[in-house]
Amino acid sequence: MTETQPRRDPQPRHSLRTEILEARPMNLDGFVEEWPEKGLVAMESDFDPAPSVRVEDGRIVELDGRARADFDFMDTFIANHAIDVASAERCTSMPSAQIARMLIDPGASRDEVLAVTRGLTPAKILDVVKLMNVVEIMQGMQKMRARRTPANQGHSTSARDNPIQVAADAAEGALRGFAELETTLGVLRYAPLVAIALQVGAQVGRGGVLTQCALEEATELELGMRGITAYAETISIYGTESVFIDGDDTPWSKAFLASAYASRGIKMRFTSGTGSEVQMGNAEGKSMLYLEIRCILMAKGAGVQGLQNGSISCIGVPGAVPGGLRAVAAENLVASMVDLECASGNDQSFSHSAMRRTARAMPQLLPGTDFVCSGYSAVPNPDNMFAGSNFDTEDYDDWNTIQRDLQVDGGLRHVREDEILQARNKAARALQTLFAQLDLPAITDQEVEAATYANSSNDYPLRDVLTDLKGAQAVMDRGLTGLDLVRGLEAGGFHDVAENLLTVLRQRVSGDLLQTSAVLTADFTPLSAINDANDYAGPGTGYRLAGERWEQLKKLRHVTSATNPETEVR
Amino acid sequence: MTTPPTTSAQPRRTVTLTETGPATRGTRRDEVVIAVSPAFAGHFTRTIVDVPHAEVLRQLLAGIEEQGVAARIIRVRDTADLAAISHTGARLSGSGICVGILSRGTTMIHQKDLARLSNLELFPQSPLLDEPVFRRIGANAAQYAKGESPEPVPTRNDQMARPRWQAKAALLHLKEFECIEPGRGPVEVQPAFELSSTG
Repeated sequence: MTETQPRRDPQPRHSLRTEILEARPMNLDGFVEEWPEKGLVAMESDFDPAPSVRVEDGRIVELDGRARADFDFMDTFIANHAIDVASAERCTSMPSAQIARMLIDPGASRDEVLAVTRGLTPAKILDVVKLMNVVEIMQGMQKMRARRTPANQGHSTSARDNPIQVAADAAEGALRGFAELETTLGVLRYAPLVAIALQVGAQVGRGGVLTQCALEEATELELGMRGITAYAETISIYGTESVFIDGDDTPWSKAFLASAYASRGIKMRFTSGTGSEVQMGNAEGKSMLYLEIRCILMAKGAGVQGLQNGSISCIGVPGAVPGGLRAVAAENLVASMVDLECASGNDQSFSHSAMRRTARAMPQLLPGTDFVCSGYSAVPNPDNMFAGSNFDTEDYDDWNTIQRDLQVDGGLRHVREDEILQARNKAARALQTLFAQLDLPAITDQEVEAATYANSSNDYPLRDVLTDLKGAQAVMDRGLTGLDLVRGLEAGGFHDVAENLLTVLRQRVSGDLLQTSAVLTADFTPLSAINDANDYAGPGTGYRLAGERWEQLKKLRHVTSATNPETEVR
Repeated sequence: MTTPPTTSAQPRRTVTLTETGPATRGTRRDEVVIAVSPAFAGHFTRTIVDVPHAEVLRQLLAGIEEQGVAARIIRVRDTADLAAISHTGARLSGSGICVGILSRGTTMIHQKDLARLSNLELFPQSPLLDEPVFRRIGANAAQYAKGESPEPVPTRNDQMARPRWQAKAALLHLKEFECIEPGRGPVEVQPAFELSSTG
């Protein structure tokens, strides 16, 4: 080993302004140059195929320049199941500009657009959305979103997997307006207790809120089948065969899993997003958006009602390349324009800059999507076991104010603290009672008190983790189901919560939640693309923030009263 | 908080890895193999957070040596998959224990009798691995080699690592892929450390 003396280069002098700019949180974000040959490019790449389709004997024999003999399994699945063969040649030969214009033209109804998009190949869809800027993409989304009424989804998790925290934050989140709530774990074995807590908390906050627990697929399915959860979302799909195979999956295995949920009347959607393939080093030289469009059509072909997309956990990749967020907005639009429910991202820590975080959400918040966030962190981000969201509990007032400023419905509302405290306390007590009824690990009165006033997992007494894990295992071993939860709540005196949960469970018999974009209203009416179809047809039509809902959204934490300016509106 | 980028012109230790022949199975029961990826201390010289590869190796070696265990370094050339690199090293290690490492810093402790996709300890968040962590990883690997059961090195988590590092990690991964030499077996390498300025 040899050591030589270091040579020191002089440091260039920086201006004071440069120093201020360097210190801005913005500059903690990472950005990279494009590398189209490897697929490190958002949506404009010379390496994406040109659109083409050829049909012979009622079968697609050529797709985007590739003959059937050369199809990979994504091509095969899409050609066989996702594209309407009868209209494929006619629709794909239409000028892309004409289709793009239909997307933004209020004179073209959503159904008229669907009659065209049904017959488009992945490369053709890319060709269409590449013509659109973000404002046009938003205009398209406003019309193509499947459900007329927009909604939002929240995360309720705990850095300590503390079920009481999850229940209390779920209750608050439900009260604030989330139509769906999901959880996941640090220690996976905690799942049964936390999934129960989420379900109980949600039904305390607002009856009819749907819950899910993101886990490995077998356990996630089992919790769903038992009625401990109400929907499933984290079924990941990918845009290249190589990445699919890496995960020991195929489009057929995912479609099979989807049918398992459908067989029990359980709502489910797939998950995909730009950037995942290049992140795993197998983009096969295609742009992020092209590969995501393949995912979207795969989901369509599998027959699932919806998709969570918008880059999701890979947002740092499109977020780092030029035009990346335009591509992310476009992928949401594509999901909606092929008639899928779109839970549109905004669900992962995205930027150190508050301005950039807000800008990232505008293409979904302004036009409205089926779920603007999928989800918004209904716990402080350090407690977010989905690795942090783009928005968290500290942003509640900002979000509510932006809704009020722009008169847009982002699915949340301001709730008075006394109501929140009441809901949190009731959720904790309901869970305490239920655990006692089911002979699960005890919850103390101190924990209930902590849950009522807590912010984060640090504000709760520590649980005996080993006892909890034994209890969690017992839930699985004893075969407890959603009905056992109903029974325990009823026996423990929480009749209304039991009734809420039972009504949610009944939905799986009617199967109404299998309809596209289905959510349950506070009176348990399924609201979906069937009975709440988006009828946007230009100014003055479609969903308008008005009436009682608008009155709700006018409320903020501090609004000076016009009647008595010395007081605030309550 | 994430680590600020290194911009100072402090003296930087560099390392050159010289190939000395095909890597063979070790005969000493008290050795740990360090298996580096195709571009480690070659095409690349620093981890994703600018820890010099020289420091990574020095800390791993120091951690192993302070446990009284010998170390040997090999380069795996035909894959950039950390599990495959680490498992290759483990099968060549006299103790069956290997520390595998990618250029961007992602590290794993592997054992030859485990399934390839399993591991003893995995450190997936490369931006959070600094010199002290590498030293502890070396020390833990050596303890496994001695048949002990050390406390796993505490893993850290930073939810803001994504916006800062995710795309760069993808880029580094793609570059490392390009340095793969298909069909070429692992080689024994000898490190030569030196100090120089970063310029």
